Amino acid sequence: MRGSGFALATPGSVCDDPRVSVPGWIVDTPTKLVRLAIVLAGLGLGVIAYRVQIDNLNILGPFTTPTRAWAIVTVAWAFLFAGLVAWTRRPGNFVGPLMLAAGFALLLRQLRYSHDPLLFTVFFALGELAYALVGHSVLAYPSGRVTDRAERALVKAGYATVLIVPLVTLFFYDATKPLLFFDPTPRSSQLLVSGSAQMVELLQKGLVIWLYGVLATLFIVLILRRLVSATPRARRILAPLLLAAVAIALRAVFECVFTFVDRPFAYDYVFWWQIVAFIALPLALMAGLLRARLAQATVGDLVLELEMTEPQGIRDALARALGDPTLEVAFWLPERREFADAAGRPVELPEGGGRAVTKLDQDGEPVAALIHDPSLLDEPELVRAAGAAARLALQNARLQAEMRAQLQKVQESRGRIVAAADDERRRIERDLHDGAQQRLVALALQLRIAQRRPGEHADPEVDRLLAAAVDELQAAVNELRELARGVHPAILTEEGLAAALDSLASRSPLPVSLEVLDARLPPEVEATAYFVACEALANVVKHAEASKATISAWRQNGSLMIEVEDDGIGGARTEDGSGLRGLTDRVEALGGRLTIQSPVGGGTRIVGEIPCAS
Amino acid sequence: MRVVIAEDSVLLREGLARVLGESGFEVVAQVGDATELRRAVRRTKPDVAIVDVRMPPTQTDEGAQAAKEIRAEHPEVAVLVLSNVVEARVALELFSERPEGFGYLLKDRVLEIDDFLESVRRVAGGGTAIDPDVVIQLVGRRRAHDPLEELTPREREVLGLMAEGRSNRGICEKLFVSPKTVETHVNSIFLKLGLALAPDDHRRVLAVLAFLRS
Repeated sequence: MRGSGFALATPGSVCDDPRVSVPGWIVDTPTKLVRLAIVLAGLGLGVIAYRVQIDNLNILGPFTTPTRAWAIVTVAWAFLFAGLVAWTRRPGNFVGPLMLAAGFALLLRQLRYSHDPLLFTVFFALGELAYALVGHSVLAYPSGRVTDRAERALVKAGYATVLIVPLVTLFFYDATKPLLFFDPTPRSSQLLVSGSAQMVELLQKGLVIWLYGVLATLFIVLILRRLVSATPRARRILAPLLLAAVAIALRAVFECVFTFVDRPFAYDYVFWWQIVAFIALPLALMAGLLRARLAQATVGDLVLELEMTEPQGIRDALARALGDPTLEVAFWLPERREFADAAGRPVELPEGGGRAVTKLDQDGEPVAALIHDPSLLDEPELVRAAGAAARLALQNARLQAEMRAQLQKVQESRGRIVAAADDERRRIERDLHDGAQQRLVALALQLRIAQRRPGEHADPEVDRLLAAAVDELQAAVNELRELARGVHPAILTEEGLAAALDSLASRSPLPVSLEVLDARLPPEVEATAYFVACEALANVVKHAEASKATISAWRQNGSLMIEVEDDGIGGARTEDGSGLRGLTDRVEALGGRLTIQSPVGGGTRIVGEIPCAS
Repeated sequence: MRVVIAEDSVLLREGLARVLGESGFEVVAQVGDATELRRAVRRTKPDVAIVDVRMPPTQTDEGAQAAKEIRAEHPEVAVLVLSNVVEARVALELFSERPEGFGYLLKDRVLEIDDFLESVRRVAGGGTAIDPDVVIQLVGRRRAHDPLEELTPREREVLGLMAEGRSNRGICEKLFVSPKTVETHVNSIFLKLGLALAPDDHRRVLAVLAFLRS
């Protein structure tokens, strides 16, 4: 994503450091070799951890049995398994590696029971680290980062406690009294400074109270706080944390009971619940992470879906893919320098207030902004991927919109050209009638008067010439009238399509039957339909060798349909006459279609489909 | 017979006036637009007004509008409308319920001077003169279950001439047949179209036009 020119900006109010420094090796999926090494190490350490418990703690009977030893190893394996799967499927998310570390720490922790002085010293000092890692994994879920200030403080306090207190304990442990949670066999601290059994007991009990009393309680409180303040979407994702709270609570009760009650009556019961809870916890965290990963997989579908989506549908598709029904999409309007919703209303981007904003940029210019549930910021990869898909779709939609607008303009101008041509034809028709035709009639009348003048021109030759001139003028008037009708029939303007087609049919040398709707339509529609019929009928008369023709006009799906059919020889093609070609142009200029069916020997059928709003 | 001529083409107007004047009509006014026409009719109370459909200033239908007003305000004044082009709708609108004393002709019909004068006289006498082209359009109109289909070609011809406003004698002259034959055709037509036989020419025209318009 980086370097592609696409930038994702997250607001600082929700996330302390969006460019969190995750080590590079975590971003990549672990190689097969690494995974094999982890599995082998886990199995080997598991067996060792089991042996250490059996060999060093078995004398206490109820506290350590082979079943319990295996149960403790199984908890560690659950963390290793969940951590490995999460790391593999969600590379870049820190929770997986944290769970892996917790798993190994849980196994290594058992080495502190060893009687070997060095092993005892090292792993007594580091043993409790396992629980700090478990707590860290939980608090880092689901984003992989601990972002809340209180939670960060708690994690730091946890690490500090588990690293300092056992270490200090080793300074005072001189094996005069058995350690708590240990078998009575004395072990030797390699770090002994000054022996004090009292101090050791104080530190050990203090650790239990501090770690399992105070910090665990704080941990539970913080988790509950997170759940309570979460949006519904976030709550679904945070559900595994509830399990964590239960696990920690059980663990805390267990440790306290074990530390301060001599012969705990409920010990057995609590131990097993704790084991079940601690096995379930990593698996739940893993499932939560994989669910988010599944959401990322739907981003793939999103790309396909968006490709076929109108701009208004982009929001819905994104909301589905991100699992956030509250998602809003604001589109950047470059000319207005502001964001707007799909309907074009200006949108004010919220700052804080329970909403988060992710801006989608292209080469430094905003494309859109997603206004969404803040919990989505925990899954930046998901938002990035969905955003990238949406950005493509939005650009696509914008290009489409621009193209449609252009097309619309062209279509409109074609329509205007047709309308202008029609107006011009009407004007010419009127000029022919009222100009030339009228003059010819007046002239002919003058000649007629001259012809009728008695006496003066008794010459029959003159009379014959005048009569011929009048006839000639009459013929000229008729031709002119025909010409004007061809330019634009007055009857079409005055009385509409049905009357004009009636008149056309009645002048045709061929028997023409009509089936024409009787309604007035927009003038350009009527004129186009008329000229289609006129040209088609002229072609029938000239080329088709038909015995009859039919003209039909009807309305269908908001269009005027005009059809001319004959029983002639067929074989007509658009390319043959510029007449049909011109008609096609004219019909298409109004957004319509002209189809010609003319099988050789099977008659010709010309159908014009002319959209008309009214 | 007193005539007012409203025609914006001076050449044609003068020609008409001359033809009419030489044929015993008294041309009491010659005007070039609709306003003058109304004034002239009011002033001179002619027997007939000959009116061009299109006149200044808009050259659309001032003449037709003026003709309509004259027919409404002065029922005793016959109106003969002249047009350069057949507009059946305009014609129908003008004679609407009352074809008596009304005519609608193409302008070049004036070239057949005798025929034209006959039409003027007929209209002035309360008769009707409808241009054959208008009649063709009316007769040619398609109807559901067209009763005109039942007419013979000759009967259609006679029907057309009746619609033009011609009397039986006029039809005889036009078709070169005997009055008896015309009578037979007319009876047959009225029977086929289911019309009641009218006692006079005016009523007959009315019946035929009413039928054609329906």
